[in-house]
Amino acid sequence: MSEKVSEKKPKGGQAAAALGPNAEIGRKLKQYYESLIVDEVPDRFAQLLSQLESVETKLEKD
Amino acid sequence: MAQPESFKKDLLAAIPSLRAFGVSLTQNADRADDLVQETLVKAWDKQDSFEPGTNLKAWLFTILRNEFYSQMRKRGREVQDSDGVMTQKMAVHPGQLGVLDLADFKDALATLPPDQREAIILIGASGFSYEEAAAICECAVGTIKSRVSRARTRLQQILAVSGEADFGPDAISAQVIASNAA
Repeated sequence: MSEKVSEKKPKGGQAAAALGPNAEIGRKLKQYYESLIVDEVPDRFAQLLSQLESVETKLEKD
Repeated sequence: MAQPESFKKDLLAAIPSLRAFGVSLTQNADRADDLVQETLVKAWDKQDSFEPGTNLKAWLFTILRNEFYSQMRKRGREVQDSDGVMTQKMAVHPGQLGVLDLADFKDALATLPPDQREAIILIGASGFSYEEAAAICECAVGTIKSRVSRARTRLQQILAVSGEADFGPDAISAQVIASNAA
């Protein structure tokens, strides 16, 4: 284990670099987030927006 | 103000990101979708206050985040997972040395204080700048930087402690932490 002491990693303040593509945490963070992205939008949201839109259109006509 | 038609299209396009951000805040898919719904309604109502040409995603994230914290205050509880997402992950078998399991990572992330978690997600995953993240979280840029830094350090500690992963800021602190934990 002691050989690993020589491995220098960036200290805080370079957090962004440590989150970059070469850092394990950065990679995992992106992997995690991408796993949460679902391109397909559930109907409830599309319906909600259409509803909001039609209410607005109606109000404008009145 | 934006044309309703294009505003609606832009909102639709932002939904996958909003849901992802919502899950990362709540650790719960159903609660996240409720947040997204509230966010869409609020965004629609306030669309006059959105300045076209500015970052719609950041604007929406701000609304979602505010909604999240106001719900938390109403419920008077911490961001906790009620559906056992956090307990369910227990069956963790870290893979090969040096490869960090995504489930381990998720668990570690869930243990962060909400302010640190959102900061590291916004910067490290959602692709926002420090300035944008600071605007979303309504705090100073320096605050975001220090939250990200603390989150990163903490993740490294947790993940090093959790064992097999060959990972972390340095082996010494990992050993210290591991022996303290033992």
